[in-house]
Amino acid sequence: MTRKIRINPALFAVFCFFTSVYLALGAVDDWGRLSTGFANLKTFFVESLWPPDWSIFEPRLYPECNAPLGFSITCSTAWIGMSETLKIAFISTVFGMTISLPLSLLAARNLSTPGISSVIRILLASLRSLPALIWAIFFVILIGFGPISGILAMTVYTVGYLGKLQYEAIEGMSSLPLEAAEAAGLGAIEKAINIVIPESANDLISQAIFMFEYNVRHGSVIGIVGAGGIGYYIDLYLGFLVYDKVIAYLILVFLMVLIIDSISVFIRSFFTDERPLNRPKWKSVLVPKRG
Amino acid sequence: MSTKVTGDIAVSLEGVTIGYDKKAPLAKIPSLRIKNGEILAIAGPSGIGKSTLLKTIAGLVPPLAGKIEVCGARAPSKPYRGQLGYIPQRLGLIRHASVFHNVLIGSRARFCGPIDLFASKEAKEWAKRSIIQMGLEDKTWEPIRRLSGGQQRRVATARTLAQRPNLILADEFLSELDEETMLNVIQAVVEYSREEAAAIVLIEHDIGRARRIADRLVVMDDGRLNPFLSETKTMEVRM
Repeated sequence: MTRKIRINPALFAVFCFFTSVYLALGAVDDWGRLSTGFANLKTFFVESLWPPDWSIFEPRLYPECNAPLGFSITCSTAWIGMSETLKIAFISTVFGMTISLPLSLLAARNLSTPGISSVIRILLASLRSLPALIWAIFFVILIGFGPISGILAMTVYTVGYLGKLQYEAIEGMSSLPLEAAEAAGLGAIEKAINIVIPESANDLISQAIFMFEYNVRHGSVIGIVGAGGIGYYIDLYLGFLVYDKVIAYLILVFLMVLIIDSISVFIRSFFTDERPLNRPKWKSVLVPKRG
Repeated sequence: MSTKVTGDIAVSLEGVTIGYDKKAPLAKIPSLRIKNGEILAIAGPSGIGKSTLLKTIAGLVPPLAGKIEVCGARAPSKPYRGQLGYIPQRLGLIRHASVFHNVLIGSRARFCGPIDLFASKEAKEWAKRSIIQMGLEDKTWEPIRRLSGGQQRRVATARTLAQRPNLILADEFLSELDEETMLNVIQAVVEYSREEAAAIVLIEHDIGRARRIADRLVVMDDGRLNPFLSETKTMEVRM
């Protein structure tokens, strides 16, 4: 007679926490460094970082700005960098999702055979095991500097990352609609298109928007290796130690992430249990009510 | 495009053991035959294996032993596409999709091919008809998540009727319905069974209601470890 091992989840969580504390304590070799660290950080913040240099919104000196009156901001490095980052993020999210969705349907164990599922999971794991930055270096070497390298790097990483999120969402869906369809004799492709995608729509949209936001944030990282976007300017000013401009760019990225999050709330409201009357207005999304 | 089943028997079980674990079978059924056009109700206490029996007939749970033949196909082969309609206890509707989309899934099984990207005109027509039959025409484009429990049960019934199956397996599909709606649903299902000679197997807790609908009632009882069903023609058979 086999004896089943039962693990108390609460005790296991406590064990994990204290193990982490123990390992973290082992990783610190000199606590004394913290005493001067905060002072250094304060000096860096006050003298180099703050206030942000908002001249990043002013038109560049060269090439000459030919934008109509009132639109000179479109010639600024902030505008050019952010619009390029948004373009890279949008294109790579759409391309990435187009590739990852069929792959995730094949990877989900409730839709696919164990053999196919395992092969696709290994493929997706291999794509996301290299960070987007490494993929960017790879594509810069392959096709040279510019946004195309950034798009390809982000697309490859998006496929690996989004594919995993998607197949986990698909595996988490209720099996009942699939059972009813299976009994009726519907095929795998029909089940995927007519049942799995509509049933997981909320999760799939949420993940796609999260991936877009992730790509915007990482667009600022991969720009550092010359793959285009706002990261190019961040890297440029980091190199010159102009930290007040760097923090201005980072605040811009932060604001963009907030806007994308608001868009996500609005779009997902179409797929939640809220009735149309309760659908959030743009104002309430951007400026949440108190209480 | 109705595919008629050859022979008189819609479902035949011989020496079938149902369950998920060979060491702990839920029930043993020595013999059970359901004719085309017959309405069979299965009653019995909770947890006895009624839903598992229905899933086994639907081909969703393999039998632990024995022979099963459904709509002329001997397990593990499955009936032709669209011949079997199954209404799970918790309905199995797509919560974020509209009533029409859900019902169309049923008619698609019967009136479309497996690689048809778009539903045929006939499939759409049958979906509309079933929605009207279930009194849901004003909810056609509402997502399922906004419907009441009773309305959702009517959608699940409409989905199965739109499929025009030769065999309907319904797991407690009448619960949560008010008296008037329940009578309408029963009438629609019984009429369908009579017109199309479709067999219906339904699980029903309410013995009185089961008697009203079904031609035959069988009771799964846990008086023994291995309850079984009988072929006796009497109205109620208690093992």
